[in-house]
Amino acid sequence: MNILHKGKSSFGIKKILPFITVLFLIIIMVLPYQYKIIANTMPFLTLIGIYYWSFFKPNLLPIGAVFVLGLLQDTLLGSPFGLMSLLLIVAQQFIFFQSRHFLEKNFIFNFFIYIILVIGFGFLSWGITSLYFVVFLEYWEVIIQILLTIALYPIIKLTLSLNNKS
Amino acid sequence: MNGFRKRLTISFFILASISFLIFGRSQNTLIEQIRSYVFDLFIPIITLVDIPRDATSNLSDRVRNIAMVFSDNRFLREENIELKRKLIESTELEIDNFRLKSLLNIKNGTLNTVTASRIVSDSNSPFFRSMLINSGTQANVKKGHAVVNEEGVIGRIINVAVNSSRVLLLNDINSRIPVKFVKNGINVILAGNNSRFLGINFMPEDVKAVNGDLILTSGMGGVFPPDLPVGVVVNVLATGEIKIEPAVNFDRLNYVSVIDYEIANFSELSEGQMENNKPSRLERLKQ
Repeated sequence: MNILHKGKSSFGIKKILPFITVLFLIIIMVLPYQYKIIANTMPFLTLIGIYYWSFFKPNLLPIGAVFVLGLLQDTLLGSPFGLMSLLLIVAQQFIFFQSRHFLEKNFIFNFFIYIILVIGFGFLSWGITSLYFVVFLEYWEVIIQILLTIALYPIIKLTLSLNNKS
Repeated sequence: MNGFRKRLTISFFILASISFLIFGRSQNTLIEQIRSYVFDLFIPIITLVDIPRDATSNLSDRVRNIAMVFSDNRFLREENIELKRKLIESTELEIDNFRLKSLLNIKNGTLNTVTASRIVSDSNSPFFRSMLINSGTQANVKKGHAVVNEEGVIGRIINVAVNSSRVLLLNDINSRIPVKFVKNGINVILAGNNSRFLGINFMPEDVKAVNGDLILTSGMGGVFPPDLPVGVVVNVLATGEIKIEPAVNFDRLNYVSVIDYEIANFSELSEGQMENNKPSRLERLKQ
């Protein structure tokens, strides 16, 4: 009876693990770092989480969960409500579309797709925010954000895959 | 059929996000309330996750302070002598100021420190400059209250929950505050632009700013009390664009004060004062 119960709970945790890890990445993004370089160019950590889970365990992160995570990120970041949910849903659909065609290819090819995704995400967020505020926003910091998001992927992927295995 | 249902679900969530974007633009009350509840829910979690970062930051501050104790001590001794001299001067000026204000019957607004708060979250984004503090309606914080520290103006409260509030920083693209140039008293609007430097809107064409000009709050609008330090002009471009360095270092903020400022109105003047004023004004008009 006990063994059965244990098995059930571990399955339950695995089911919510993607949501919890992406939520944790959102919280990491909003901590008051007090270092200018981090403060204005925080990498898109949630995008890394969404990419990882949508690519490797797509069933565990449904579109509804991505929508809620996006709204939570908007609330905690202070960004326009609905912006991140829109961007993350579009990113996830792009990943689903690409994974259907390219999942069997090698790591380098998948990483190349990831780079395209991050660049698209960065400039789409810049474009929509500029439209929202009706002003031409600076884009240099977005470029740094894009580069940092690309550079951080192997580290976060490793951490998430360790969590996933345990 | 399954594919159609899937496409319908995707369209629904995309449309819902766009609707939130559109309705949220006009400060929708429901959306603002949802935000407030989420702040309150997440404040303890953020504080918990922040413990290692906070401990590391405190440790590095401590090490730096110990390393600089001798040079700081010498600097502070010299500063203390200078401040004592200035204190005598300022006391004389304060007495003069009080006497002149009494003669002119000028009433100062009332300034109350609502609460001192800790910063628990930062937007860390190139597009938005705001912070979450751990005080809300329970500490009498209200939307529109000014947020300051010992260096000067930080921003104003834009969203309040029970135990937390969001502060829109001076350098956010949506921030506009009434300020004045100290040297000539010209009133202008200080505008944030998401960058390190602040800009000026509605600068009169015949007024020229120069590097080093001090900018203080003007007190107009009733949100910020007058004469709080805002920044200093650091660059005037050939195009006329003025760059102002904020008085506050936004990268080293830990604690802030929320203040409530109320402009004095004529109903606060006593009946006697009003009666005493009438003849003199009439006499002046006759002359």
